[in-house]
Amino acid sequence: MFQYYFMLGVRSLRRNPALTALMVLILAVGVAASVSTLTILHVMSGDPYPDKSERMIVPMVDNGPIEGYTPGDERNDNQASYRDAVNFLNSKQGDRRTALYGVAGSVEPERSDIGVFTAEGLAPTRDFFDIFEVPFMYGQAWSASEDKDATDVIVLSRKLSEKLYGSENPVGKRIKLMNNSYLITGVINNWRPVPRVHRIIGGPGAFGDEDEFFIPFSSAIRHETQHNGSMNCTSYRDPGWQSLLDSECTWIQVWFELHSASARGDFQNWLDAYSAEQRKLGRLKRNAPNVQFNLMEWLEHLKVVGKDSRISAWLAFGFLVLCLVNTIGLLLAKFSVRAPEIGVRRALGASRKEIFTQFLIESAVVGLVGGVLGLLLALASLTLIGKSSEQLAIVTHMDWLMLGVTFVMSVSAAILAGLLPTWRACQVTPAMQLKSQ
Amino acid sequence: MEIKPIFSALMRSKTGPILVAVQVALSLAILSNALHIVNVRQAVSARPTGVVAEENTFSLRVKPLRQGGHEEQLAMQKAEAAALRGVPGVISVANTIQVPMSNSGNYNSLAAKREQLKESIDAAMYVTPDSLVKTWGLKIIEGRDFTPADVLEIDQNTSKEFPNATIITRTVGEKVWPGASSYVGKTLYYGTGKEARQAVVVGVLEKLQTPGAAVGENGEASTIIPARLTGGTRSLYAIRAEPGQIDRVMKDAEQAISNVYKGQVVTRTRTMLEDRADRYKADHALAWMLITVSVLLLIVTASGIVGMASLWVTQRRKQIGVRRALGARRMDILRYFITENVMITSAGIFGGLLGALALNQLLVSKLELARLPAEYMVVGAILFWALGIFAVYGPAWRAASISPALATRSA
Repeated sequence: MFQYYFMLGVRSLRRNPALTALMVLILAVGVAASVSTLTILHVMSGDPYPDKSERMIVPMVDNGPIEGYTPGDERNDNQASYRDAVNFLNSKQGDRRTALYGVAGSVEPERSDIGVFTAEGLAPTRDFFDIFEVPFMYGQAWSASEDKDATDVIVLSRKLSEKLYGSENPVGKRIKLMNNSYLITGVINNWRPVPRVHRIIGGPGAFGDEDEFFIPFSSAIRHETQHNGSMNCTSYRDPGWQSLLDSECTWIQVWFELHSASARGDFQNWLDAYSAEQRKLGRLKRNAPNVQFNLMEWLEHLKVVGKDSRISAWLAFGFLVLCLVNTIGLLLAKFSVRAPEIGVRRALGASRKEIFTQFLIESAVVGLVGGVLGLLLALASLTLIGKSSEQLAIVTHMDWLMLGVTFVMSVSAAILAGLLPTWRACQVTPAMQLKSQ
Repeated sequence: MEIKPIFSALMRSKTGPILVAVQVALSLAILSNALHIVNVRQAVSARPTGVVAEENTFSLRVKPLRQGGHEEQLAMQKAEAAALRGVPGVISVANTIQVPMSNSGNYNSLAAKREQLKESIDAAMYVTPDSLVKTWGLKIIEGRDFTPADVLEIDQNTSKEFPNATIITRTVGEKVWPGASSYVGKTLYYGTGKEARQAVVVGVLEKLQTPGAAVGENGEASTIIPARLTGGTRSLYAIRAEPGQIDRVMKDAEQAISNVYKGQVVTRTRTMLEDRADRYKADHALAWMLITVSVLLLIVTASGIVGMASLWVTQRRKQIGVRRALGARRMDILRYFITENVMITSAGIFGGLLGALALNQLLVSKLELARLPAEYMVVGAILFWALGIFAVYGPAWRAASISPALATRSA
């Protein structure tokens, strides 16, 4: 019977073409608007490392000045000072740990056909590549001993490698960057985590461009490589590189990969012990609570999903509700002219339930057609939004989940809209209809 | 008039009218809030930076491959500026460490007293050995611009020196010395405690936005100090070109710098309009999204009204025929449908105004949006009355055109 009603529904699409087309179009526009805003929200708040995000941890101690501080005030900054970063690196806590900061410098290519240009990169430790599951195309990351010795080694992005060396494998060559010569140990493959959790603060942001190169943190420090990002200093520091390292200026990001999510308790104990120890040395005078964020908490803390995306999504849903009300009206109109037909069917023995099923399936067919059209519209509008800026291009990709959501949303919206008109159709009294004919 | 019979007719079949009223209510609630948000964003992105004729100004970043020591850097900076001033079409050049709306910059906490525990305000600190006031055409409302005698040459790698003069914006003055009528001559502290640096205010600007150009007074809290800094890896110039020549001047300026370094340099230019477009990109994107949804909203609502009105016209063919046969003019039929529609829309508008306030309340509490001004609701209400009449006119005209003879014959 379902099949038969479904066929009837498809046929009835043609019965009242103008009305039906309007209905399908309105449903499609409503669904498209909400799906495209929802897709952006969904991708923005996505978890790029679903298998391990629970145990990827950013630790935070408050090293702000005690002057003018009242307990409960906001934390000084979301980054770490060099002293804390190095202590964290040496802590042996968790399975892996890394400290990183943004760097930028001029690349002097060997090829004469490319001029000097600026590249933006990152200075992490080797664990970075494992924690963030960076895929390699050639070679590999540098070794732990190279981290320790602050060796001048470098990992290139695929894009930078192809720009400089074409399709050749450049591992083993040396590249001239920021007036130093670095030995290439690896080239990473296309790597676009969304959001770029490792570099939300400073630099190109959560949805920005990829890092073009990676050099060891220790090597960057040894060469006194200036940071490319944000730095927060609460008081004037003495001039010179060493005094920056000794200062309480915050400019480095630290990540830990714990063995399991349940190890967070132990990690917290260690963090508290660490800050108590530092307090004995005369630091961290605020004695503010030490906190740790796992990856999703970190995204939430930094408000990666902006207010604007939420406003858009809310208003788009309001719009969908409006389209729903509109569809109710139109379905009511469509079904109301079918009263004689219902009268005949009822007189021939169809129960109310039969009529209810038939008309609800007919509504669902409208929803299905609206869903297909809505999907096309959503894809079109996402492409349009993506074209408006490079940053948005990354977040305007529809995945299978959103594809499914589109259809479920469209069909359930149509069925919801069809409930009232269908119920009204069931109220048709056969006697009255037959008499008036 | 015939309001009473229309009303009782409406009460007999309520579903349709209620659906139309609900649509109007929803649209009005969403539309007035959407337009409000669009206008707020528009106002934010139209704020002046304090720079006059922005379209003629740009910034040029110079990053030499190799940097010499303090003396050499000083010499090179002066050579760079001289080369830039030599470019035809350049009106004014100023070395600076940051430009408004560029998003990355240097901020400092300011205080009126060294002993102050908490800073009065966080302000952007522009540093220039030249005159940003002249290059950007900033308006001085009190005091004077820097003179060459104010300028200090500071090697950031070794020196802790700090210039003795500063220019502040009015916003900084109001926050640091609330209630004071004049700020020139007062001593301003950068930071608090024993590490704080001090400088005497020599001039007050009407306005100069910060690199972040934040919304509210923080976006206009800036200071300028007179110094030439060395020890960085780059230098930055604010340049004003003759009107209409900016594109050529930017190319020539880059070439001039390249000549100074014999090609061993990386340069980048950005017009202030590009910085502005980037700064407000998100606001424009949201505004477009909201305008699109609003237009769709109006179309959907109008089509809903047309659809329902057409249905009623079809349903009432016979009654219309009878009324016409009994002497009603076309005008009367037309008026009937339009009055009916105005009654329904009015109910919808009433609900919509309440809905708009409720939605605004939600947005205010959840997303820190500004309160909805009454104008939007008034304009929205008028818009929907007009839309309702416009939408119902077609079906009503068709109803009026029904010939009494044909409509009554089939009965």
